[in-house]
Amino acid sequence: MLEKEQKLLEILKSAFQVEGKVIRNRRVEIWDHKEMVPAILLMVKTQLGYKHLNHITCIDWLEEGKFQLVYTVFSHTDKLTLFVKTKIDRDPAIMPNIDDIWDQANTYERELREMYGIEFPGLVGDQEFILEDWDEMPPMRRDFKTDVYAEKTFFAQPGREDAQDVRETITKRSGEEIPEFAKKYSRD
Amino acid sequence: MSFFDLKGLLQPLGAVKQLGKNPHTIKFDDLNRDAADRYRGLHYNDLVACIGCGNCSTICQNAAIDMIQLENIEGKQGDSGLRPRVDNGRCCWCALCVEVCPTGSLSLTKDYIFVSEKSSDFLWIPGIDNPKAEENNRLSFVSTTSGSLSDYVRVPMKEMDSKERILTFDEVVLGYTEEEARKEAARCISCGLCTEVCPDHMHIPEYINAIAKANDDDALKIIYDNNPLPEMCGKVCTRRCEEVCALTHRGVENDPNDKGAVAIRWLKRYATETAPTIELMKEIINHEVAEPNGKKISIIGAGPSGLTAGYYLALKGYDVTIYEAKAKGGGMVMYGIPKYRLPESSLDKQIGYMQAMGVKINFNTEVGKDIMFDEIYDNSDAIFVGIGFQKAWTLGIEGEEAKGSIAAVEYLDIINRGDNYDVGKKVAVIGGGNVAIDGARVSRRYGAEVTILYRRRVEDMPADWEEIEAAEHEGVHIAIQTIPTRVIKDENNKVIGIEYLKAEMVSDADGGRPRPVAIEGSETILECDTIIGAIGQEADYSWLPTSYQDKIKVDRGRMLTNKARQTDDPKVFAGGDAVNRTADAISAIADGFIAVKSIHEFLSK
Repeated sequence: MLEKEQKLLEILKSAFQVEGKVIRNRRVEIWDHKEMVPAILLMVKTQLGYKHLNHITCIDWLEEGKFQLVYTVFSHTDKLTLFVKTKIDRDPAIMPNIDDIWDQANTYERELREMYGIEFPGLVGDQEFILEDWDEMPPMRRDFKTDVYAEKTFFAQPGREDAQDVRETITKRSGEEIPEFAKKYSRD
Repeated sequence: MSFFDLKGLLQPLGAVKQLGKNPHTIKFDDLNRDAADRYRGLHYNDLVACIGCGNCSTICQNAAIDMIQLENIEGKQGDSGLRPRVDNGRCCWCALCVEVCPTGSLSLTKDYIFVSEKSSDFLWIPGIDNPKAEENNRLSFVSTTSGSLSDYVRVPMKEMDSKERILTFDEVVLGYTEEEARKEAARCISCGLCTEVCPDHMHIPEYINAIAKANDDDALKIIYDNNPLPEMCGKVCTRRCEEVCALTHRGVENDPNDKGAVAIRWLKRYATETAPTIELMKEIINHEVAEPNGKKISIIGAGPSGLTAGYYLALKGYDVTIYEAKAKGGGMVMYGIPKYRLPESSLDKQIGYMQAMGVKINFNTEVGKDIMFDEIYDNSDAIFVGIGFQKAWTLGIEGEEAKGSIAAVEYLDIINRGDNYDVGKKVAVIGGGNVAIDGARVSRRYGAEVTILYRRRVEDMPADWEEIEAAEHEGVHIAIQTIPTRVIKDENNKVIGIEYLKAEMVSDADGGRPRPVAIEGSETILECDTIIGAIGQEADYSWLPTSYQDKIKVDRGRMLTNKARQTDDPKVFAGGDAVNRTADAISAIADGFIAVKSIHEFLSK
């Protein structure tokens, strides 16, 4: 069971001293410092047959002050998916560019630059990707307040003034008096 | 080529030769043009299932959902009466509103084409603007409990093992750890539907949020805003709040007992446990006592209602004296609830805190015996009566005066005083409420074999499900649909058994709950040494002189008051079991709290 997966993990561990684990059948993940990621990706592409870059995705660990980048690559011969993960600082967010390994990485990286504000030194391509005339914080960062942005950008339909607050409706009905100091814990 | 192209004009007419032949194309109508299975189109809301909790409106990232009042939808307990309306000009169809809907009433449909010239039409009221979406099978993106951001499973409460606990009167429930409490508190969606059902209208979402945000001091302060006995409530409250918790609507799939309701009671208990001493309570709660205003208040009975009134009146600067017949305060919660549910030390701490804040309690002082009502009446500016229901109803069957037949409240009183009562080897408990279960579980702790005789089915028992379950785990046998008819005694007038009839449930023609009807000839005898009756209690008014009774009126065992808990004698207020119809501790606390406002208003005139 999982021999192929274990073997891939062994090769990567001995080549790069990375940490990793077999997630399940046909899924292997490893994690390392960001400087090592291009070398790992180049090696798995040229030597191990992981020729297909599925995706580059990003997770915002706001509380930790980190972004986690996940490079998903696939081997058509082994039928294995490998996840190469790394955590980088949120501010400044800089990640080595890999579009010289896969051309299509350029598109993903431009998207990450626009949506999370991650810089890829040497990345060629328009600064603007999907968003037009965007001068706010990158919108996929978790501290971007979508509702505040929506409020100031899109006018509300007229006729919404009759909206009511659920908590207020209930207190009015029951006669409950919430003390002032407790109100900061009420729902927004 | 000439200017006039005759060939070009005539050639299309060649198509005429195809007339009457079968076409080579297929009909457009035959294609299935429906949207994908999980398509996120226009919103639909099941207006009956919706409880107006507003979770959809809260999560909406675009502030596109308003909660509004609709015609024909009235608010009721567990339903705010509001319903969502979507501003489709802002909606981005992310469907988070559907993901977090606790009832699953909100969904997105396969319909995505909507055209109108009037911009106000884009304020979309799901369920009103597309009433037939569900009927026409148009729902596509529906809410599930498994994939939701809301958590429908309660953090389980650790308890002492059932074999171990019948050997001791130590507390059975062990309480949440900090980590468990934070996790449980984080499940609350803060809708506040629970607060309306709570007789005392405690600020539930606020204190739970304070716990979730790791601010236990604030939680305790919020709790003490209108409940001075929260540790007691945290252990034994009847918690009607949990019954209407928004998460119960679908949490029942995971747990039919707690239904996935936020463990409001256990969280309150956790918050109170963070202040284990009176000094710490004083420091955290930080209630200011107003300058003495020279007005005297007397309170009869140191039960939950009397203590509540006493505490908040003392804070307002009144000179408060409570007269209590027994040696300790707490009333029914002290003498009626076994110690494995509510340890004495916990009650001592809470009452000790009140005394430290200026409430005077005269113990062992029975009004009508040690001190006369006249004297209290003449020396006080206002009086609060919270005497409770301490007298048990008799069973009304032959032979119940025999030795070994005792009322549950009396039995529990003896045990809670610290005295012993020999129940023998076999005990029969009659009744299905919490008092009956208490009597049964206490007897189990004395090693007796216990049978509860109850007229209806287990699901009809008014006792808490946790209590029933715990009793069963501890080996209490519940004989359902049994109607006791006669106490069997020996020549020494000592109980040796009880005779009962089996009953069958007959559905009520008026739509009420099914009634038990005795089956003739089904007499069965259960051998037992002790019979504990727990079928209800009433108040004792022997302390009240007849000269007052035209103003302080008693009707069918209950004292009559107005909404402000004031009797016809403007100086006399009353609350607790002897006044309200719910007869539980939290209603008594609520009565006390209301009376505080009324008394303050009355004396400030």
